[in-house]
Amino acid sequence: MITDTVRPHRSLWGDAFIRLRRNRLAVTGGVIILLIALTTIIYPFFSRYDFASQDLNAILQSPSMKHFLGTDELGRDVFTRLIYGARTSLSVGIFTQLIVLGIGLPLGAISGAAGGRADNLIMRFVDVIYAFPDLLLIILLRAILGGSIYMIFLAIGLVSWVNVARLVRGQTLALKQRDFVTAARVFGGFGSYITTRHLLPNSLGPVIVAVTFNIPRAIFAEAALAYIGIGVKPPTPSWGAMIRDGNNVIFAAPHLVLFPAIAIGILMLSFTFLGDGLRDALDPRLRR
Amino acid sequence: MSDKPLLEVRNLSTYFYTQDGIVKAVDGVSYAVDRGETIALVGESGCGKTVSALSILRLIPEPPGKIASGEILFDGIDILTLPKDRMLDIRGDRIAMIFQEPLTALNPVLTIGLQITEALERHRNMHGAVALEEAIRLLKIVGIPQPDQRVKDYPHQFSGGMRQRAMIALAISCEPELIIADEPTTVVDVTIQAQLLELIRGITEKLNTALILITHNLGIVARYAHRVYVMYAGHIIEHGSSQDIYHHPCHPYTRGLLASVPRLDEPRKTRLQPIEGQPPDLIQLPPGCAFGPRCPHVIDACRQAVPPMTEVSPGHYAACRLAVPDRKQS
Repeated sequence: MITDTVRPHRSLWGDAFIRLRRNRLAVTGGVIILLIALTTIIYPFFSRYDFASQDLNAILQSPSMKHFLGTDELGRDVFTRLIYGARTSLSVGIFTQLIVLGIGLPLGAISGAAGGRADNLIMRFVDVIYAFPDLLLIILLRAILGGSIYMIFLAIGLVSWVNVARLVRGQTLALKQRDFVTAARVFGGFGSYITTRHLLPNSLGPVIVAVTFNIPRAIFAEAALAYIGIGVKPPTPSWGAMIRDGNNVIFAAPHLVLFPAIAIGILMLSFTFLGDGLRDALDPRLRR
Repeated sequence: MSDKPLLEVRNLSTYFYTQDGIVKAVDGVSYAVDRGETIALVGESGCGKTVSALSILRLIPEPPGKIASGEILFDGIDILTLPKDRMLDIRGDRIAMIFQEPLTALNPVLTIGLQITEALERHRNMHGAVALEEAIRLLKIVGIPQPDQRVKDYPHQFSGGMRQRAMIALAISCEPELIIADEPTTVVDVTIQAQLLELIRGITEKLNTALILITHNLGIVARYAHRVYVMYAGHIIEHGSSQDIYHHPCHPYTRGLLASVPRLDEPRKTRLQPIEGQPPDLIQLPPGCAFGPRCPHVIDACRQAVPPMTEVSPGHYAACRLAVPDRKQS
């Protein structure tokens, strides 16, 4: 008979996770993201300050023991506002990508699997959206949809699904040529079944990577919206809005610009490193 | 059991319409398979073996391919006129296929078990634990050790031979009446080849399954096939029992094929004889015999018209003007 030894059963995802763990930058990125996420959840229970409570006796203070990162021009605690701002940024990152997946996956899969006229129609629509400058389109949608935070998710999501749709279409087209798809048809599989069972799961790796790289872009888009004053409504903290407010007093209190800017940088970099690690981990060519 | 053949291919032509012209991959091919019988389609690369098999399953990519004419009668039904959903019911249930490369024919992100249960779910209405149990039983039949463990493995955790065994398990999952094996042993090494072919033979005999064995290995043919069809440039140029083909080849191409394979029953100093030249361009076949340009015995008549199929001896046909039994070797 053949071999009788049994190795531990690791799934493809298990393998990928092991490779991901070896990548120090990616692990650092992931840990920072987790830490920030945990802090946003736990912090409100321990904080002395509320993100909206003002103390007009203590405005524009520098970092001190009382106010860890100082106060802004209304005397609000900057550290508290940063944490709550992280909540906005993270939820923007995650919920926009849920919208992106919700639109991009099915449209891309239909486009690639069906081909012909449906493919042409969907891809020309994608081209039109792709041709628009992202931020301009987001501002337009924001004007149409209104200013609640959910509408901002929607506006950013509606703009950024195109690259996922293109990716999934490309993957589907390539996978369609593979023998196992023919094999699935030999054993009685039909169109939509093959697409969901065989084509989509095989394209998930690159999609996860693309989505991870999309998150910092969405975070940045939200910060940019807030910076030009059409983001989430005050007093809900947003890092972009904090930078804009700090701009007015940049020489009196430079930390008001500096800290949120650093926060945006760290969060975006963390997601980028994580995405980088995921790409290496999920790349089948590196599989041993 | 009726005496009608299980599968009858009549005058099948499958063409590919390309920018350079029409590629006649399969051109007027006829063959028949009885229940429980093993036939072999033999020929060199690109002679239309695989295309003729995929035509049976109606899996020719369309466009550019198209089944231009002919009939394929499976159990008395013309497959080519069946509606699409009826065809889906036949695929995998009554006709199955074993692929040349099991690694690419198995989905890398699904476990072996899930892939075997796929056909069972589709055609036998088995689900969940019942289907998994059946998958384990099938893996056991094809000789995979510890099937209850291995059923949870992914294709990349299987060795080449085991993947092909899993592919066989998948093919027999619904106990089909016909299995098409497209060069099932080309990618595994020789020791495994013999094991796999014995396995396939054992299963087809037990289940009374007909088998179309597509191969270019004449050594396999002699041992496992009842009848042999030799293909060249989209045509069948000789067919008969494997005894006839092996011991009394009539067509110069068949003789050339046999001369280019080492044989144990001949003195070792006999040199292997390659067939000179290249297979013809399927877009522009010569007007006469397709093998004419490479044939050592070519005569003028060969160049003018395609030689007809003539019966050399009972059940043994060859499409050659010089078709007389080869007495030298008998």
